[in-house]
Amino acid sequence: MARTDFGPPDYREMVPPIIKENYGDWKYHTVPRPGVLRHVSNSGAVLHSVRVASPRLVSSEWIHDICDIAEKYCDGYLRFTTRNNVEFLVADETKLEPLLAELDEKDYLIGGVGLSISNVVHTQGWIHCKSAVTDASGITKSIMDEMTGYFTGKQKVPARLRIAVACCVNMCGACHCSDIAIVGIHRTVPRINDEMASRICEIPTTVASCPTGAIRPNPKLKSVEINPEKCMMCGNCTVVCPAIKIMDPVNDGVSIWVGGKVSNARTAPMFSRLAIPFIPNEPPRWSTVTAAVKNLVEVWAANARDGERMGEWIGRIGWERFFKLADLPFTDKHIDDFTHAKTTFRSTTQFKF
Amino acid sequence: MSLVQVKGTQVELDEDGFLVDPEDWSEEMAAYFATVEEVADLTDNHWKVINYLRDYFKKFGVAPMIRKLCKDTGFSLKEIYELFPSGPAKGACKLAGLPKPTGCV
Repeated sequence: MARTDFGPPDYREMVPPIIKENYGDWKYHTVPRPGVLRHVSNSGAVLHSVRVASPRLVSSEWIHDICDIAEKYCDGYLRFTTRNNVEFLVADETKLEPLLAELDEKDYLIGGVGLSISNVVHTQGWIHCKSAVTDASGITKSIMDEMTGYFTGKQKVPARLRIAVACCVNMCGACHCSDIAIVGIHRTVPRINDEMASRICEIPTTVASCPTGAIRPNPKLKSVEINPEKCMMCGNCTVVCPAIKIMDPVNDGVSIWVGGKVSNARTAPMFSRLAIPFIPNEPPRWSTVTAAVKNLVEVWAANARDGERMGEWIGRIGWERFFKLADLPFTDKHIDDFTHAKTTFRSTTQFKF
Repeated sequence: MSLVQVKGTQVELDEDGFLVDPEDWSEEMAAYFATVEEVADLTDNHWKVINYLRDYFKKFGVAPMIRKLCKDTGFSLKEIYELFPSGPAKGACKLAGLPKPTGCV
């Protein structure tokens, strides 16, 4: 029998000697230039990490290429960050400049450190997922093409700004807690193939999967029926029952959410909230989505104080100001109507005209 | 989709090898699935699990939770994996002719 349950390799086998020697003994770090971190330990050891953008979905050739670079300048050591960037870990200071030169020459984007717009956390999209309402890699590429200056540090931002893409409301990844989030949404009530549902779907599971109780059993056909008045097209039933289809190329698209954060710095973590209810899918460049994201970044960058995240900025100026400054219409879609919606309503007379 | 010949009848399977129509299930079908899911011999213990799954599905319309399966059959999850190397969902449920498990599996 095959060897099983032996877990991932111990990370200590793969950290560079300089990190092993100074583990838990670092004194401080600085950012000498965008994309480069300089860590200094109590013993005086200096480690440079050079952060480079990655498209997350990569070929093995690409992996081989970064391995070759790591071999040449970092004794074979590199790491991936939690936003899927690559960091080359340079222990030998004399190799830093040649590494930066080679990365530049090979068109790797150096950046994503500190006050910048780092990589987009994103999902499978039309590359691999059956419930994807929109693509992930395509939107990510289109957005980051616009954000390159913010990634490399050429354009300044007042604080970190996290962008995330999720291709459906499952929200795999970080959409619910990002400064700007792009989430794929449906706008069509699902269709049921009754004959197929009676064979391959667990009816009670399908009924229980609906957050609004819009689904009830249809015992005559051994299937289910959906109340279109109650359905908000989340697609959860299509996940558990393959006989229910919801895809609609015309009405499917994305929504844009703003103001989420996960850190506890200055303010508590926040969920992101709806800014734009719907933008249609426009492959391959998603130009309306990209323009909307660019607008949000620019309005925030022009108005926020130093160190103020998107959600903190909106918290200070208020949502009515935000919608005005961002030039976005406020619609009925923005008003929460799910179970505990009442807490999101305004229970004060304080507001700005 | 694919078709297999089991005891002279043609049976339709989906891309993961699950029955397209649960009505096609038979004891011979379970024996056929055993060969593709690395179950060497169908022992009494295998049949205990298969029959339990079939009865439960017939009664409630869903596959039982793993905890329920273990509690009612008396087999620990470890023993279930010894009986069905590909696990309770991909292995045991397939042999029992239950629908393919769905969700974020």
